[in-house]
Amino acid sequence: MNAPQPALVAPRPERLRLVGQRRQMLAVMHQRLMFGMLVYAGLIALIALRILYLAAFGDHAGRKEELTAFIPDRGDILDRDGQPLARTIDAWTIAVHPNKVIGDKLALAQKLAQLMPEHSAEQYFALLRSDKTFFYLRRRASPELVEAVNAIGEPGLAIEREPDRLYPQTTLAAHVIGFTNIDGRGGAGAERAFDSYLSDPSTRGTPLVLSISSKVQQALEAELGDALQHFSAIGAAGVVMDVHTGEILAMTSLPSFNPNAPGQATPDQMFNRATLGVFELGSTFKPFTLAMAMDSGVVSGPGQIMNCPEVLPAYGHLVHDTHPFGRQCSIAEVMMESSNIGMAQIADKLGTERQKAWLKKMGFLDRVEIELKERGRPLTPGSRWGPFETMTIGFGQGIAVAPLQLAMGYATLFDGGVYHKPTILKVGPGHPLSPGRRVFSADTSYRMRSLLRLVVMKGTGRKADAPGYRIGGKTGTAQKIINGRYSQSINLTSFAGVFPMDDPRYVIVVMLDEPKATPETYGFTTAGWNVAPVVSRTVSRIAPMLGVAPDMNREPNMGEVLPFIQEAKKQDSSKD
Amino acid sequence: MSARSFGSLFMVASCAGAALGCYLVSLRVASERASLEDVESQIVTTQRDLRVIQTEIGTRGRLSQLERWNAGAFSLTAPAANQILRGSVELAKLVRPERQVDFQAPVVFAAAPAPQPQRPLAEPAAPDSTATPSSMIHQASLKTETREVPARTAVEMPLTARQKSADKPVTAAKPAQFSSADKPGLAAAQSHAGKAAPRASAQVPDAKISHKKSVDKPALAAARPMTKRVELAKTDPLAPLPDKHPGRTKETPTGR
Repeated sequence: MNAPQPALVAPRPERLRLVGQRRQMLAVMHQRLMFGMLVYAGLIALIALRILYLAAFGDHAGRKEELTAFIPDRGDILDRDGQPLARTIDAWTIAVHPNKVIGDKLALAQKLAQLMPEHSAEQYFALLRSDKTFFYLRRRASPELVEAVNAIGEPGLAIEREPDRLYPQTTLAAHVIGFTNIDGRGGAGAERAFDSYLSDPSTRGTPLVLSISSKVQQALEAELGDALQHFSAIGAAGVVMDVHTGEILAMTSLPSFNPNAPGQATPDQMFNRATLGVFELGSTFKPFTLAMAMDSGVVSGPGQIMNCPEVLPAYGHLVHDTHPFGRQCSIAEVMMESSNIGMAQIADKLGTERQKAWLKKMGFLDRVEIELKERGRPLTPGSRWGPFETMTIGFGQGIAVAPLQLAMGYATLFDGGVYHKPTILKVGPGHPLSPGRRVFSADTSYRMRSLLRLVVMKGTGRKADAPGYRIGGKTGTAQKIINGRYSQSINLTSFAGVFPMDDPRYVIVVMLDEPKATPETYGFTTAGWNVAPVVSRTVSRIAPMLGVAPDMNREPNMGEVLPFIQEAKKQDSSKD
Repeated sequence: MSARSFGSLFMVASCAGAALGCYLVSLRVASERASLEDVESQIVTTQRDLRVIQTEIGTRGRLSQLERWNAGAFSLTAPAANQILRGSVELAKLVRPERQVDFQAPVVFAAAPAPQPQRPLAEPAAPDSTATPSSMIHQASLKTETREVPARTAVEMPLTARQKSADKPVTAAKPAQFSSADKPGLAAAQSHAGKAAPRASAQVPDAKISHKKSVDKPALAAARPMTKRVELAKTDPLAPLPDKHPGRTKETPTGR
């Protein structure tokens, strides 16, 4: 009973203080709890929102982002008709990690030698025992071989897929397309020139479309290859070009190589004779000299009469003709019979300075303007360019240009005198036509048509004619310099042609390096005998594909030249 | 009161329901998108496969290979200029109008000798073809006689010979054909000696030979056929039909 009643006991002051503290503590705790809860709720809300966001807009687990659009590892190269010329495929690669080999290395080496006989078992064994951690056994292996190697069951052997460049048309247009090296970078041709475009992820999805037409290219290569073999020439080059756009429809250099195995190609095969090689192309230059003279007013036209002696003494030298006139002759005859004497006189009248200016304007004194990196620099007399050199350049000796440059010159001359930069890219929406530059007058361009048609109808290029396709052109046989002297027997023959001559659309230039005489050519090695037939056969094949309709009733205006031909001599086309 | 007290609960429930609905819609969209992406990836995979196949076909059928096949097997060439036409008019120009039947042509008997082009194979027919139609009437009756009676008069025999050469189906008369085949020579010697030569020069390709021989051996020919006929009948009774026999063309001129 003595026990004090709690209710009656007055709270002690310290206790009262405790109550106040407790309240405070409780309040603080409430605040903290509330804060913690808010934080927790905020986190949950954040997570929930994030989940909702992801559900609404985010990726899901099964998404294969890299597969939504197909982008090859390196851009495709297509021809103008969409045929693939270069593609990247997944090829099988067989490699080995010698330190991971657990089986019998000798037995493995023997099996490998059996499957891949390019190395002997000893060599494989030495490789397997070496300190190397990894080496390739075969790149671009066939599926059968991969299967056989896989069947060995050795964990040290690595069979992988890796992107590899494939050229489905093998040697076709090899010099234009080029090749890639082992690292997948462009080594030559378009692969090298457009390396950044082809390898950039933002652009490589769109294929590179070349102006090359596989069909035209094949026809040119086949016919030129036949001639190369038949006449035992050491090399050949050919170009087919669109006169109006400067697009190169076909360009070849023989001997060629297989870009699928560039390592096996010899330097001679790799050498692009069409753009990198420069050659003295001989009489195919004569139309330029005449056009320059006509445009400069030095020559009035095809009817102008000049003196054509048997031999022309000039500046301490003698200029010869294979079949000299020895009389007065007209300009048309000079062109028809490819007279050096006549053309030398025309060049002399034109003069060195004007000739230089014209050649500069035509782009013959600079590297050819084309996207490829393999471009040759023309060779000119340079400081020795005197009046006699002017004469020799007038008939095509003394200046060396690339065959592509010659084609470009003819394209300029027959596109109404307007120069367009040659290109290996198809002219279209992505690659507009390069701006033209007037070189010759339209009238000169028009008058040259009948002159060049005359050469094929009655002159040295008769074997180049393809019935119905109105080919006009000029043969050229240049003597090659052997040991510093012009050889009398070793030639470089070329033909530059344009068709159809009544409305020029395409230029074809073919060249044979050191063709040999055959019984059918009666011992001649001049252009009329060996390259002119190539042009005839090639044009007969390609013209229908290019939409040139054959017409036996159409010709350029031959009335401009035929009255000035004194006699229609029946003689072989043995001259250049 | 109850509505007020449960008001917040309803709010929460409806909010949760709406959120759930939204989530379901979003889930549905996501699954649709996923399936779409699956299709897209399938398309890409197929495209890649197509590329592989196209590349393989392109490589196997590369132009240089086709050219090689063409050179070796097909030998196709580019069309010549005159094979390319520019329109239907040029095409129509190529068609020749059908030849009209000439109703004014002379009537030809069914029993008439074979037409000109067949004659070079059977040269003895050449001189006989100019015989008058009346001589042809004898053919049928003379055929059997020739077989049974080899030695006939020289005037009648050429008719059988001519008939045989035209009527190939008669196979049973092989030996007799040979014997009769010799007769034209006889006939030529006797009845056509003078006029056969100029006619032959116009009709037979090797007119010179026949002309020369008919002139050279008029007398000899009269005796020869008799012996020769007997020889042939004896030695080669199974000889082929006269107009196919290569030796026959050789023999007949000698007879003439």
